[in-house]
Amino acid sequence: MTDREIDMVLDLAAQTPDDVAPGLLDRVARSIGPPLVPVRPLPAAWVLEGGLALICAAVALGGAARLGLFGIQRLSGLERATIFPALAVLIWLAATVCAGETTPGSRRRVSPWILLGAGSLALVAIFAALFHDYRTERFVPQGVACLTAGLLHAIPAGLAAWLVLRRGFAVNAVAAGLAAGMLAGLAGMTMLELHCPNFEALHVMVWHTAVIPLSALAGALLGLLSDSRHDQR
Amino acid sequence: MDPERGSRVRRMANNWVSGFFPMDSDNDLEMLMARYQQGDFDAATALIHRLGPRLHRFFAVQFASRGDADDLLQETWLRIHEVRRTYRAGEPVLPWLYAIARHIRVDHYRKERRAAAREGRLEEMAPMAALPAARAESADLEALLAPLPESQREVIAMLKIAGMSIEEVARATSSSVGSVKQKAHRGYEKLREQLTAAGLSRERTGGLA
Repeated sequence: MTDREIDMVLDLAAQTPDDVAPGLLDRVARSIGPPLVPVRPLPAAWVLEGGLALICAAVALGGAARLGLFGIQRLSGLERATIFPALAVLIWLAATVCAGETTPGSRRRVSPWILLGAGSLALVAIFAALFHDYRTERFVPQGVACLTAGLLHAIPAGLAAWLVLRRGFAVNAVAAGLAAGMLAGLAGMTMLELHCPNFEALHVMVWHTAVIPLSALAGALLGLLSDSRHDQR
Repeated sequence: MDPERGSRVRRMANNWVSGFFPMDSDNDLEMLMARYQQGDFDAATALIHRLGPRLHRFFAVQFASRGDADDLLQETWLRIHEVRRTYRAGEPVLPWLYAIARHIRVDHYRKERRAAAREGRLEEMAPMAALPAARAESADLEALLAPLPESQREVIAMLKIAGMSIEEVARATSSSVGSVKQKAHRGYEKLREQLTAAGLSRERTGGLA
């Protein structure tokens, strides 16, 4: 049996009329109105994406300016030209995924889980290629301080992202939360790259990069909680 | 010509004609959706009457009971109404609508499972992937797709009931075009086995099966 023949069988079967109860469609129509209130559609995808990217940049720059721009001052030209464009690309991608996850039926260019894994690994690889100081002096205390600062900056970025995305509708709240958390984590990490003058390879690879998956997981958890709260209603 | 064959030929002719003159052109639906967003109740009613039966069919393919399909249809339109602002003019309507319908279906299934678990009757609940075998005896789409796993059934239902393209199904299911193609291909493989086996058993029993 060929695919064409299966197609014909399915098409024929699909042609049989569906037995929708008489009056059901009218009942559905009556349940939504009239009158209907006009609604303002979501802005274009690029407007949302641009807004989210701007939030990230503003939180990262604002936070680093407040704490001191020591990191960027110590970075070489090559390091700046590699790290910040990579972060900008990831922020743009995360913003695109975020906007897509809150708009039903939009084209999914990349899964948020894949972007999280691939993005974090790409950053670790970049840091491994750029930094070769493998000392681990005060590894944990300094690391925890950076991680905390990164996560604390991810919170306002996440809240601002939620404000931008609140008019959307996430068909998969966990994926949407993960994407928003990742975006917020990228804001926190960008702040660390601008601020932190500690270029020990392991410090940057472990503690700076960890802001992204931790923030993303927190976002996914919030998505899961909102899902289960909705289920209980 | 025997009457059964005659009606089959008529249906095939209808299919052929509807392939050239689709009942709901994309522009038509987009226009209705835009008017619905502007508060036009007639446009909303037209959308419900045009797309409702197909949505109902989509749910009927996934769930055994007609009552479930009725409930899901109502719930879906209420949600569509609630989030109608998330439709963007110029975007295809069907992926947007089916993404919401799919969300409602998954939600409904989860709630059912939770309720069944609370009442200790989980084993009684038919999984989304397994519809009652009795339905396989009728010659409708629901029966044809019943043996397929849920993800393959969903993709084929969207392609055949909603008349969506592979790209549109990918949008509605938040997956890639490649993944949709793979699910459709696997679904077709299973249907081929099933239809071939049904053909063989009919031959063996002299058309009584």
